[in-house]
Amino acid sequence: MNAKAQKIHAASIDPAYYQAVTEAIRLEAVKLLKDETVVAVVGYLPGRRRGTASPALVTTAEQAAQLIFSPACANNLSVYLTKAKKGVLKKGRVAIVAKGCDMRALAGLIGESQIKREDLHIIGVACAGVYGFDADRSQPVSAANIARKCRECTVHLPEGADVTAGSLTELSGLTPVEAQELARIEAMTPTERWAFWKAHFSRCIRCMACRQVCPFCYCEQCLCDKNRPQAVESSPRPAGNTAWHLVRAMHLAGRCGGCAECERVCPMDIPLNLLNRRMAKELKELYDYEATMTPQEKGPLTQYKEDDDQSFIK
Amino acid sequence: MHAETVQHDFEPKIVAFVCTWCTYAGADLAGTSRMQYPANVRVLKFPCTGRIDPVFIMRAFQKGADGVLVSGCHPGDCHYMAGNFHARRRFAAFRALLGFVGVDLARLQFSWVSAAEGGKWVEVVTDLTEKVRAMGPMPEFKELEHEEQWSGAVNTPELKEAYDSIN
Repeated sequence: MNAKAQKIHAASIDPAYYQAVTEAIRLEAVKLLKDETVVAVVGYLPGRRRGTASPALVTTAEQAAQLIFSPACANNLSVYLTKAKKGVLKKGRVAIVAKGCDMRALAGLIGESQIKREDLHIIGVACAGVYGFDADRSQPVSAANIARKCRECTVHLPEGADVTAGSLTELSGLTPVEAQELARIEAMTPTERWAFWKAHFSRCIRCMACRQVCPFCYCEQCLCDKNRPQAVESSPRPAGNTAWHLVRAMHLAGRCGGCAECERVCPMDIPLNLLNRRMAKELKELYDYEATMTPQEKGPLTQYKEDDDQSFIK
Repeated sequence: MHAETVQHDFEPKIVAFVCTWCTYAGADLAGTSRMQYPANVRVLKFPCTGRIDPVFIMRAFQKGADGVLVSGCHPGDCHYMAGNFHARRRFAAFRALLGFVGVDLARLQFSWVSAAEGGKWVEVVTDLTEKVRAMGPMPEFKELEHEEQWSGAVNTPELKEAYDSIN
């Protein structure tokens, strides 16, 4: 399967590539279910409309033969393995289709002892990119409609998967829109930055989609839902919204795998991944920590060194 | 003997989150030693700096603090061995986050004050109070508290009329 590494220019990501990946996933999933290595496969089935896909849990070989991988397969499926989605999975080993960015989430969850590696059979996907949330899905994925996170993807080829579908290694010729946006915001004065985030946070309707879709938001009782004492105001007003987004960013700092699902599902188009990326960058600079595809025992905020930087402390 | 009192135009509200083992004892020492420091500071005692959640700091700002001070034991002196080491990393990250959303970080001060450093406590509190006094009240979070968000702007005559008739 992993015959030859390729380099694909973004202007022309061949739809046939996704077809090849689809075939590889089906082959593997059918085999796994037939010989009962796993009890279920978490993957994608075609959506009801053209150019869509929906997450699915398949338990039979017939269903497994319908699995797909297309540019519409943006969901990070690792969220279905967490205790936030309790009851989705039965006991037993489970196979999961994972892109590189999903692999980082899986590694994070393994590191936090939420799932066990031996309970998983990871079908890695060498991903050529998925559609952005507002993309024109009638066209094949290209520089015009690829997701922002995919433009700067460094994990096209998943490492540590049990089997890898596809062989793509890098995309080129994509502008790093998100990095540019981050640089633009960092260059602003604090007043301008506050105005920027205030405008974005004020639009938030507190649907909590960002929380529900996040593989790392698996707490059974969210701090932001508590009301005795209340840490974060629960009504969708600017004050509570700002508090919620700061708490969210803080709780994901050093854990976020960068799948940008929060940003994709946001109905108000709040650029949440900018906050995640800023925190990741800070923790990289301060503590040389990066989310990786291999599980790490401890995150940057659950460990310390005696000589950590304390220049900001009197 | 009291120092001469000066009337200021603006008295900032400073909230200090302190650990009970070091800084609280340090502040106590400053008090029993009759050292003078600004009465602007409101001290909140915690078991350890490791117990001080970034949410507390944010909430202090939301509820009207103009400056926040977080203070605990020097590294290596923690009563619970490593609480302040963990807190140090967490605060470094939280500082970066606040800076990124546009909060002036001069209003947020961290310090290590041991039980023997009454003088340092006075110095830290005085410095922060004077710094924040010079900066004036902190408007950002307080303004948010009083704002409501409308799903659409009141931008048509009909909406305007309906809106006015409510009040």
